[in-house]
Amino acid sequence: MVVLEVRHLRYYYRTRRGAVKAVDDVSFSIDSGKTLALVGESGCGKTSTATAILRLLPRNVDTYEGQVFLDGQDVTAFSNEEFRSKVRWRGISMVFQGAMNALSPTTRCGPQIAEPLRIHYDSSQEEATAAAGEALKNVGLPDYVSERYPHELSGGMKQRVVIAMALVMRPRMVILDEPTSALDVMTQANIINLLKRLQKEIGVAYLFITHDLGLASELATDVAIMYAGRIVEIGSASKVYAAPKHPYTEKLIHSVPRLRSEETPEFIPGAPPDLTNAPLGCRFHPRCPYAFELCGWSSSELAATLARQAPGLEIEDVSLAGVGKYDTEDPWKLVIWPGKGTRASSIASSLRELAADRRSSVPFLRAIEKIDERDSRVVVRLHPGQMPELMGEDDQQAACWLLQKEGSGSGTN
Amino acid sequence: MDLERTDLTPPGGAGAEPDGEYPIIQLDALRMWFQVGGSVFRKSLAVKAVDDVSLTIYRGETMSLVGESGSGKTTLGRTVLRLLEPTDGRLLYAGMDITHAWQPELMWLRRKAAIVPQDPYSSVNPSFPIYRVLEEPLAIHKMGTRAEREERIFQALENVKLTPAEFFAQKFPHQLSGGQRQRVAVARATILEPEFIVADEPVSMLDASVRISILRLLGQLQKKLGLSFLYVTHDLATARHFADRVGIMYAGRLAESGPIGSVLAEPLHPYTQALMEAIPDPDPENRLRERPTLPGEPPSLMSPPPGCRFHPRCPIAKEGLCDVVEPQLRELRPDHSVACHLAS
Repeated sequence: MVVLEVRHLRYYYRTRRGAVKAVDDVSFSIDSGKTLALVGESGCGKTSTATAILRLLPRNVDTYEGQVFLDGQDVTAFSNEEFRSKVRWRGISMVFQGAMNALSPTTRCGPQIAEPLRIHYDSSQEEATAAAGEALKNVGLPDYVSERYPHELSGGMKQRVVIAMALVMRPRMVILDEPTSALDVMTQANIINLLKRLQKEIGVAYLFITHDLGLASELATDVAIMYAGRIVEIGSASKVYAAPKHPYTEKLIHSVPRLRSEETPEFIPGAPPDLTNAPLGCRFHPRCPYAFELCGWSSSELAATLARQAPGLEIEDVSLAGVGKYDTEDPWKLVIWPGKGTRASSIASSLRELAADRRSSVPFLRAIEKIDERDSRVVVRLHPGQMPELMGEDDQQAACWLLQKEGSGSGTN
Repeated sequence: MDLERTDLTPPGGAGAEPDGEYPIIQLDALRMWFQVGGSVFRKSLAVKAVDDVSLTIYRGETMSLVGESGSGKTTLGRTVLRLLEPTDGRLLYAGMDITHAWQPELMWLRRKAAIVPQDPYSSVNPSFPIYRVLEEPLAIHKMGTRAEREERIFQALENVKLTPAEFFAQKFPHQLSGGQRQRVAVARATILEPEFIVADEPVSMLDASVRISILRLLGQLQKKLGLSFLYVTHDLATARHFADRVGIMYAGRLAESGPIGSVLAEPLHPYTQALMEAIPDPDPENRLRERPTLPGEPPSLMSPPPGCRFHPRCPIAKEGLCDVVEPQLRELRPDHSVACHLAS
């Protein structure tokens, strides 16, 4: 049974440099008692997805749209007050990253755990204390902890307190944002065991946010891989780990250092894109070794690297179409102005040679569709790439054009 | 005294190339205790952060020190660099006793041995452009003319692949990503052309995919500049791929040490075994079982348990032996030692 369903969630922040597309058309669902691990590099929008689900919005929200269903009910239609009283903590609670360091230093742990009960249910002191004691027992902490201040506890115990706090209202769903990132391996293993046990006992569903695929595999029944604000692959954990379909997933899996294998971990060259100005087409294509024309090479990428690939060309200026000098706004058209004493035709012919020659080694040269001479300028027309949508079977989908090109499954391996 | 000339001569005589067998750091029964809570009426207590540790790091190798927080691994790293003065024992750098070395000798040591700190966000002065961050050590050690310094700074930036160097030199730390800042920290550590670097959890604050690139970079610099590393970490998995030897620390003492391959293939100490069990590899089957963990928590370093410090948590501890007699490191396999009565 589906507990949480997110449909076409978009969540942009407004900054001086334009909108940061932190979450861009994200959809997924989580069944009760199951765990979806949301995995990606920092800045890919994992935490923003979580705060968007809980509608914890900052002031500089630019766009916030899409739908969130909790137990089949569209909670995006709720007013803020309704959302606060019915969804937050009662339906969905969250263990924030570093939450154990955000416990109030001046309040004993018991009252802190009971605080949501006092606020939401207006519980009496006794009821709340009893519930807090129960919650502590659930997370394997002795009674006396409720009388302690946070500074008297170890990191692992504080993290347990935070988990107790997230579970005290018996929510259907808990969002775990890097719940063990500040803990030692042994404590981490203990917390993960606790989360496993709690899930088995009370059937709570988790959205587990982490950048560590090893850790994700401890809890995940399903995995969603996020890159630059979008989910690039989603599916059952067994399938995604065994046979990743998206090149990014594959690279991410190979970047994990393994304790029990000789295989040397590899890093992913390049850096994630700036989300105010994400690449056209597939957002991973500038870092993707398998990218081809459909993945969406833009003329700015061609312009930026043309000099490096063809230093012999006497180029006066390279301009993107539409930037002051020429024609319409078209990201797939590039205008080259020849230098003094050079003819457009010679540039065009060397470009043609270059494109034919290095198609295999320089991926975006493959994207060159047409090279024209016009008014003593060279106009390069690129293949208009396209952003891939998730495709594939229900239990494993990836947003990658390779799947369409070579038939599903065989693309990346 | 002129330390550089008299004491850096390898045993093979002047000009002999130092090879892998030539120790750069030697610890002999080193102790680093901190006094806490003393007053006129109360005797102070000692936190025995590093207690009786003997260890050798050879030239050109990466020694990894693995343990939980509070095991004393960071204190050991700082003591080796003489940022702390040892309480007892001996500390040798390139054969020279620096246990209680004083200021002029320490200035010399600071040029030979550097640190890459854990947190790239707080370890770089936010008001300095990168150029000045890197110039600082050169200025303190009064090295080079302006032009020479500039060349060195650009070279250091290129070494850590922050290119074009001129572009990154004028950036401020907040304009860089975590991985880039950590590269700056590496550039700063290597700018005085040291021989030995303590890397204290250099990648624990970074993303999984960036970690490997930083560790790979350290490995490349090691080859290029002939560096030796002490890699302090809690992560056995990265140690496996980037260290030559490993020392496992527990409660201020060395529990096990040896070549990384040998230790991981056959962990002799029950603590090492438990540590390995606690680390998941990416495998969807993990979900189906609980991960075996140790009961309890690491002991207080003020009053560690008698006998073996691990015995209260040890699954195989023997009464009358492990809780009475403190085990010493014994070499049970070639170069692979363990401090456990029951290992064989």
